[in-house]
Amino acid sequence: MRVTEIQRFCMHDGPGVRTTVFFKGCPLRCRWCHNPETQSASQQILYDAARCIGCGACAAACPVGAHRVGADGHVYDRTECTACALCAAACPTGALFQAMREMTEEEVLAVVERDRAFYGEEGGVTLSGGEPMAQPEAALRLLRMCKDRGIGTAVETCGCFDPAYVPALAEAADLLLWDFKDGDDARHRENTGVSGLPLMRALIEADARGAQSVLRCILLRGVNTEEAHYLAIAELWSKLRHCRYAELLPYHPYGGAKRRLLGEADDGREDWIPTPEELERARDHLAARGVRVRDLGR
Amino acid sequence: MTFDAPNGLERPVRLSEATRAFAWDSLRHKYGQDTRKVMDVSLDDAEGFDEMTPLERYDAAVARIAETAPIRLCEGEKLSGAATLGRAIGHQVPAVRNGAAICSSVSHLTLDFGVVLKKGLRGLRAEAQEALARYTGTEREPFARSCVSCLESFSVWHRRYLEALEGRPEFADNLAVLRRVPEEPARNFREALQSVWFTFAFVRLCGNWPGIGRLDVLLGPYLEADLAAGVLTMDEARELLAHFFIKGCEWICGGNYGSGDAQHYQNILLGGIDEDGRDVVNAVTWLTLDVLEELGISDFPTTVRLSRKTDPALLRRVAEVMRFGGGILAVYNEDLVIEALTKYGYELREARAFGNDGCWEVQVPGATCFQYIPFDALGILQHQTLRDYAEDVDFPDFESLYARFKADLTARVTEICRSYEAAFWYADVPGGDWGWKPQMPCTVVSLFERDCIARGLSYFEGGAVYNVRSPHLGGLADTADSLYAIKKAVFDDRKLTLREFFTVLRNNWEGEEPLRQYMLHHYEYYGCDNEEADAVAARILDDFADACDGMNGRCGFRFPAGVSTFGRQLEWSKGRLAAPHGRHAGEVLAANASPTPGTDLRGATGIIRSYCRADLRRMVTGAALDIRLLPSDVRGEDGLAALVALLRGFVALGGYFMQPDVADAAVLLAAQKDPASYQTLSVRVSGWNARFVTLNKEWQDMVIAQYAKEGR
Repeated sequence: MRVTEIQRFCMHDGPGVRTTVFFKGCPLRCRWCHNPETQSASQQILYDAARCIGCGACAAACPVGAHRVGADGHVYDRTECTACALCAAACPTGALFQAMREMTEEEVLAVVERDRAFYGEEGGVTLSGGEPMAQPEAALRLLRMCKDRGIGTAVETCGCFDPAYVPALAEAADLLLWDFKDGDDARHRENTGVSGLPLMRALIEADARGAQSVLRCILLRGVNTEEAHYLAIAELWSKLRHCRYAELLPYHPYGGAKRRLLGEADDGREDWIPTPEELERARDHLAARGVRVRDLGR
Repeated sequence: MTFDAPNGLERPVRLSEATRAFAWDSLRHKYGQDTRKVMDVSLDDAEGFDEMTPLERYDAAVARIAETAPIRLCEGEKLSGAATLGRAIGHQVPAVRNGAAICSSVSHLTLDFGVVLKKGLRGLRAEAQEALARYTGTEREPFARSCVSCLESFSVWHRRYLEALEGRPEFADNLAVLRRVPEEPARNFREALQSVWFTFAFVRLCGNWPGIGRLDVLLGPYLEADLAAGVLTMDEARELLAHFFIKGCEWICGGNYGSGDAQHYQNILLGGIDEDGRDVVNAVTWLTLDVLEELGISDFPTTVRLSRKTDPALLRRVAEVMRFGGGILAVYNEDLVIEALTKYGYELREARAFGNDGCWEVQVPGATCFQYIPFDALGILQHQTLRDYAEDVDFPDFESLYARFKADLTARVTEICRSYEAAFWYADVPGGDWGWKPQMPCTVVSLFERDCIARGLSYFEGGAVYNVRSPHLGGLADTADSLYAIKKAVFDDRKLTLREFFTVLRNNWEGEEPLRQYMLHHYEYYGCDNEEADAVAARILDDFADACDGMNGRCGFRFPAGVSTFGRQLEWSKGRLAAPHGRHAGEVLAANASPTPGTDLRGATGIIRSYCRADLRRMVTGAALDIRLLPSDVRGEDGLAALVALLRGFVALGGYFMQPDVADAAVLLAAQKDPASYQTLSVRVSGWNARFVTLNKEWQDMVIAQYAKEGR
């Protein structure tokens, strides 16, 4: 399976202490993506100029001449780069590093097992990304391996995957952290590249099969901070029997910094950060319509 | 009146406005400043002083202190008694002759306050008189006489307080309680609290820095009885208890103090099991947590004894209080500590009663003469084993290098233990006729240490039941990381030869930045949950414990091992050369049994797993792990659950002692720039806490560096 990283001691990716496995590859292209290195399913090289000491190890290792170190410092020409990652292996400082690692489910499980003493009744593994269900066989196999060993399982998903896998996912995950991005489908298409309707249908089907869920709703000021969107959340909520609560995730522009590491323009949008008042309003709207709401981390 | 929390969390309000105002004044140095107005008492006019023995001089000093130290009654105080001489804050008996201090004082012990609660001073006096009768005419007579004298001085001081309280209607309750205690056994919670406080205050007034010990064990039964009888409510009890903590800040003075202004070793333990294995948690446990949570008073470093059986409600409550930061709460894994003590030879009942000395070094409280002796293992590796990377030092393989290090380590332990034997004992032949050498007088603390009075011997001269000198290994992480770095780069991966590596290190990585970066980033060191690196640390500790064990049985001392730095990584940094794991000469490296700042790549759970890989039962007096958390780590319900999970995992994996703290480097930097706005902001330093602004810059920078996750 293709992962970007496995992060331990996560406390905001489901109940208890969790080990979060970030899958690489996502069918969506959300304009606000905060993990842009997980979008592409292929290898990418991240470069953090602040950590570069100009030693030239990358230039020596690179088979295609994508790295040059001269009087003007280190220049990384991505048009030449084949993402072979030999530079990352040679870089002594970690300024160059690869976005993707190929791992077997057994290898991932071994990392997850390390924090067993901290999971207790509640904690466990969370598959995130990227879209874990874009690698459905691997994701499901890993989930089942964890479950068999008594480790709690959660999956964060946008819902954009082959609906034939919904029953298996509902079975293998103790909790689904289901993204709900926008109730306005035209806007959904525009901002993520896909329609949100089949994603919603997949969630409703998972719910019908008894899957426990949490609705994760990103709030972007001026994009979806409007009553119609809150109504859509409430409507979806009313159709779910096993949804624990809806979680409001105020947009943050941290994804922009990662874009820079990928050699892309920082697309972070300060103006999308919702104000505390807007968050409060969203909370009130939802609460008034009977939705159980929790702020992330509250 | 906001009691700062380094993460912006709002503290609950349960105490009365008056009590909160008392705390506010105390934390803002009102009483500390007052204490420094009179530094000491003078014995310039003491007749026959020059002819006195040191012990007689000590008794004269204690008598003079009792007779003349200023009496302080704080407005609204519910407990009376105050240690009002400034020199005591500096760890000396606050009495001078011709301007020079007469005697040093004692710390790193927890007294047996229970004896005062149960027998009263009256009972102690009877024992002292009995001992004097028994030892008159023997070499133990002077000490027995000194016990009687110091108890009499205590009574003199007590009478002065009764006189001062007479005719002050606002203190009528205090007077009534003090008419009974500490002279007589305590009968209820308020008497018990006042009795412990008054005894603590007198011992401190005489310059000593004792720990308090198991507060809930001492006071809980009295409070539970009062609550059951309906004579006291929980709210009233909380107010009283708060005054104990507020009065405990009477030595803090503000200003810049190096290691902070709160370091007087007045430790408290909560929770755990008693001698019979029963859970001790009671109303005092919960109320103490309430007070700490509300006032953020960090002067009594408080440690909760956790085990696999700890009530989940208590675990959660501990996490709630811990979350406010300030390092106020630390935790022991009592399952492991008790096992460590019994394996070492303590009886189970004694082991279950364990307390600590001043930071977290475990001892049987009220019965142990304790000292610890710190040394820098990284210094041994650099200066001896690798002889500061000299050109003529070489090893054919890692095992021969390690064997040399082990021999050097063992030699250092032997040297430490021998020097303490020589300082305290006459003979130094195994099985020979060992006898105690005379030591500095310390009668006041001896009164509250089993079995000094009965044996007619002082705390330092064989009176205590247990005599412990604990070598403490420092620089664990960096010694292990240095060895691991050499093992990997030189012997396993053959990246360079040992000679080449030594040249680089001698030159402090000059011109070798890529190699330094490689050593920093290519390997995962202690703290990253890497079995191979952790095995080196575990091996060092095992060999260290063997070396200590080898010194037992020669005299009345036992030499249990422990791990600490207590901030000495600052002073040690100056004598350290570049280290193989990518560190420059002079860098401030790891604290206690914690990883070096910047190497904790796998987060808090990874650190705990690395730390628990060693057999920590062999670190009999303790091995402390510092965990630095960010406010975002512990935010909300999720954060609370995470903190609980960390505590559970620490116990399940076999940790010994953990001091988590929550702070934000940005907040600490702001406080450094604008100290006036952060007067009550507290942080964990090592085994103690400090108002951050009272640390000097060097110490502040060290704490900030421990919160900075990146930037190397």
